Amino acid sequence: MSTLANPKDSTPSAQTASILALEGVHHTARPTWKLAETVHFYRDVMGLKICHAITAKGWGPEDHPDFLHFFFESGNGSTIAFFYYLGSERPADSVTWDHWLYRSVHTAWRVLDRRTLMEWKERLESFGYKVMVVRHEILESIYVTDPNDYMIEISWQMRSLGRNDAVDATLTLEAAIDIEKETSRPVQVIDDIWRAKSRLVEQHAAAGADPDA
Amino acid sequence: MPKVYVLKVPEFAGLIESARNKPGCTIRSVGESYLCIQSDRPIKFLRREMGIGPAVWYGAFTGGIEGRLVDFGREEVTLVDA
Repeated sequence: MSTLANPKDSTPSAQTASILALEGVHHTARPTWKLAETVHFYRDVMGLKICHAITAKGWGPEDHPDFLHFFFESGNGSTIAFFYYLGSERPADSVTWDHWLYRSVHTAWRVLDRRTLMEWKERLESFGYKVMVVRHEILESIYVTDPNDYMIEISWQMRSLGRNDAVDATLTLEAAIDIEKETSRPVQVIDDIWRAKSRLVEQHAAAGADPDA
Repeated sequence: MPKVYVLKVPEFAGLIESARNKPGCTIRSVGESYLCIQSDRPIKFLRREMGIGPAVWYGAFTGGIEGRLVDFGREEVTLVDA
């Protein structure tokens, strides 16, 4: 299978980032064991249009061979999708579904401004959902939990990201990875990263170059 | 001598502004992307003085530090020599 989107661009100089670029999210997908509740939340509460559904027979494993895979539109060509595995039960978990292990996996949708974000908050609250508001560094977000206990976030980005943000992110990750290489174990406390990063910031400034250049 | 490196982005500007009024603090540029707050004594930061919300507060030192953070709480922290 060719990985080239446009054969006419197959010169060596074109076989770089330009033909490997992504065009945003098509879908994220998670399993559900609450079909009606999930459709109600995303279609009726969120107001998202059901845009596609797959019904498959015998594609899954032996204990649940059939499934539904259904999609809701979430703007700019993106969708959110769910698998409903017929005849299956949610597997037993070693931690509960409100554990951070699961709540850290979430979908965040973009809106263009704060007014729209607050309108979403009001809409969700009008259906009786508890909505949390958090102002982060570059995002202001609202959070709601869907009937599956999946975290849903809606955000507006308060400023565009620039070169400084990319430099800083690269140095942060470099500091953390350096510590893990030096100690041969996962980094334990954020203070260690902050201290290691101060040295990288000085080195970066002295070199006068982007860290990933 | 404790130091705080501050990325030049709007959400962290409050660190710089609060440090300008602190005795013993000096501020210098570090390359194009950072400023450094340096002090000849422990530096106490107050969240409300910096004008930032809790989420940004918890990441306020992401630019890097030299020294040791003591008594890190929801509203204040002190950076001392390591």
